[in-house]
Amino acid sequence: MNKTIWTNATRSTEHAQETDLVSLPHDVLRRRLMLGAMSAGIGTLFPWEEAFAQVVDKSTLAIAYPVDMPTWDPCAVSIPTLQCVYQTVFDSPLRYSPNLKLQPRQVKEWKWLDNKATRLEITLRDDILFHDGSRMTMEDVKYSLADRPKADKKLLIGGMLSTLADVEVQSATKGVLVYSRPNPAAPIYLGFLAVYIVPKAYMSQVGVDGFIAKPIGAGPYRMVEHQRGSRIVLEAFDKYWGGAPAIKQVIFEIVPEPSARVALVESGRAGLAVQLPLREVQRLAGKTGITTKIYPYSEVYMLRIPSYVKPFDNEHVRAALHLSIDKAALSKAFYGGVAKPLSVMATEGTPSYVPDFKFPFDKAKAVAELKAAGYSTANPVAITFLSTNGTFPSDFDMARAIVQMWKAVGINATIEETTPAKLTEAAQSGKLTGILLQSWANATGDPENYVGKIFDPRLRFAAWKDMALAPRIDALTTEVDEAKRMAGWKALNVESSEKSWAIPLMQAVTTAAYASMLQPVLFDNGYVLPADYKYK
Amino acid sequence: MFQLTLAIITRRLMAAIPTLVLLSLVVFVVLRLLPVDPLATLLPPSATAADSAALRAQLGFDKPIPMQFVIWIWEAVRGNLGNSINFHQPVTTLILAALPATVELAGVGLLMALLISIPGGVLAYVLYQRKREAVADVAVTLLQSVPSFLWALLLIIVFGVLWPVLPFSGRVGQEVTLPAITGLALIDLLLAGRLHDWLSALSHLFLPALSLALSFAPMVIRVLRSGLIDAANEPYVEVARLRGLSETRILWRHMLKNAVLPTITMIGVQFGFLFSGALLVEMIFGFPGVGNLMVQAVKANDMPLIQGIALLFCLLMLTINAIVDVTYVLLNPRLRSP
Repeated sequence: MNKTIWTNATRSTEHAQETDLVSLPHDVLRRRLMLGAMSAGIGTLFPWEEAFAQVVDKSTLAIAYPVDMPTWDPCAVSIPTLQCVYQTVFDSPLRYSPNLKLQPRQVKEWKWLDNKATRLEITLRDDILFHDGSRMTMEDVKYSLADRPKADKKLLIGGMLSTLADVEVQSATKGVLVYSRPNPAAPIYLGFLAVYIVPKAYMSQVGVDGFIAKPIGAGPYRMVEHQRGSRIVLEAFDKYWGGAPAIKQVIFEIVPEPSARVALVESGRAGLAVQLPLREVQRLAGKTGITTKIYPYSEVYMLRIPSYVKPFDNEHVRAALHLSIDKAALSKAFYGGVAKPLSVMATEGTPSYVPDFKFPFDKAKAVAELKAAGYSTANPVAITFLSTNGTFPSDFDMARAIVQMWKAVGINATIEETTPAKLTEAAQSGKLTGILLQSWANATGDPENYVGKIFDPRLRFAAWKDMALAPRIDALTTEVDEAKRMAGWKALNVESSEKSWAIPLMQAVTTAAYASMLQPVLFDNGYVLPADYKYK
Repeated sequence: MFQLTLAIITRRLMAAIPTLVLLSLVVFVVLRLLPVDPLATLLPPSATAADSAALRAQLGFDKPIPMQFVIWIWEAVRGNLGNSINFHQPVTTLILAALPATVELAGVGLLMALLISIPGGVLAYVLYQRKREAVADVAVTLLQSVPSFLWALLLIIVFGVLWPVLPFSGRVGQEVTLPAITGLALIDLLLAGRLHDWLSALSHLFLPALSLALSFAPMVIRVLRSGLIDAANEPYVEVARLRGLSETRILWRHMLKNAVLPTITMIGVQFGFLFSGALLVEMIFGFPGVGNLMVQAVKANDMPLIQGIALLFCLLMLTINAIVDVTYVLLNPRLRSP
């Protein structure tokens, strides 16, 4: 590459130099020659291969990723966007398949020992090695799932497994998870947030700080380097129980700015970039060598309603709010029509989705409902609308569009820009001032993590605080008959939508652009798991 | 001279203590009065209000704000800025790990800004009251109106995508591991004798530093040009002309030395601009510095880390002001007399 550059440069100035050289004084000529030689020397040293990094190296994959890992203790945080890196380094007891079916992973079998769903027997694979070569046993499981959260209340794993009382170790690969109350959905948490198995011996030896500095997992890749805020380098673990991954090295380039992620994949410096602006993905789709995807996943965009704020206690106003939103138009305007409009708090294909139930878009009916509440376009109802700006794609734009839809029927909404942290604070202190636009992540697709959490009035971020729902939710979370459990959640889904305790808008969409030579597996929960990727 | 320098530094240090305490207090109180939940990312979706209260007590957020401040300042004096809520690590460790990258970025950014602005300022002066003065004015105004993050995006598009000659992500190439000596990549790699890796670090630093430099340079150009215009009317210039010195010699040897004094003051005052510009530039380029750390801290409402970084910025500004004072004394003989 550098040879070409020098040849061109030489050729373009050849004539001029020939004439100049004769007339130049000797010392000037010598100085120029020395400078030229120095430049050439420096030029050969310059890392051109990095600058022109478009050549695809099939043993490496660089992923332009928007968030960094705050900690390498995988049990300490439950942020959904971090889980794919944790799963890559630590693996997980169970895992959701690309179409959200719970599948064996480190735990190869699981079954309830009683009919109350309080004793879950699990069988661990016998060929799992940690990255230091030590074998994973049930002692590690007990340490990670029960002992650590008991000792340190700040660990998020404790919150995810709040009803887990103990882990009874029966053998190196067999044990029983004992729950303090019936918990039929317990297995889903073995493939969800913060539930990872760490090596007891290593962690006890080096302590938590030592572990965070040099983490050891049992996943398909081991962490070899982490430059905070910049890069995570992972190397394939050749003794992984599932076999070494096809791509030997994976580099997560931490790039929070979406335009820079686009540039990285467009220039070929990243083989995959995720969570890109929709318009940019549509533009990249026309580029040779780049494949793009815009696809819905298991997150739900919704409007949550604080029951304690007037006029949201009025069922007619809530109905009007819901009826006047054209969800299909919003999807088309902001998500290229890919985001599927929803009538319930569950995405298509998940167990509590209700395909027969459709909440209509009906402006005339919305006007009638408002009239019943004493409002009209001449006498509009005033509400506050809380929206984040940039927390998920087009959030603020969608809020503005909804405001216009409401205005047409007699609802005057004032948008107040906010942040997730402010919303959490306001919800917890019962000081939400208005209806709020939110995106709800649920990598399991299970209704317990949709309606079960959204309408539980006891949770700190609850908006619809109807205490009468608490026993109903408790009954469903402890229901051991799976058919009854799902029927109950579906009924709650439909009722909550009909009565507009919250307003489901549409299934969230995510985006990816990647080198056409790459064959990524796209998961319905949006996870990026490079162990499943390979090059053509 | 040494005594005077020492006196300036001592005076500055003494003045710095109340400034630091006051700033710490303001940042501390403001952060706690904001209606945000610092525990938002620390609790699982199933957490109840009681869980939240327990964690709040564990982290000391349940105590009255004055008491929290007294505890914090007492620990800070002993070098303990607390633990980051988000990163689960001591704030001091996180800041010390990120600081060298930002110092290097700002330093190289400043150097580039000077390389652009000193010839630029002289050129702007040379064109003063000439036909092309308007062109120079427009060019400087145009440069000044583009913020550093926009320069960053433009440079990425030009040198990263359209003409992909420079890397624009990270501090060094993927294959380079930085030796831990001073934390400054350019110096450490040079000390280790790894020239190829040094160039990798330099190439990674080039676009972020240039982004900062391009938005910083116009201010210097304007001040330098004004300084030169003022200097042109000074008697010593007339004397030099009468002595038969060439205009070029008068400009570079005599006028520039005097015109540069207000420029240095301005650079000192505006150096904080480079650090604040680094916030977004580091984020765009995935550069692992304090700016990047600050953005992550703000996103996570990581109060101890935000406080720590604010304190660091204050310290940096005070240090820079002290350096400017000393430089001023070194360059201006009139200030050396008692």
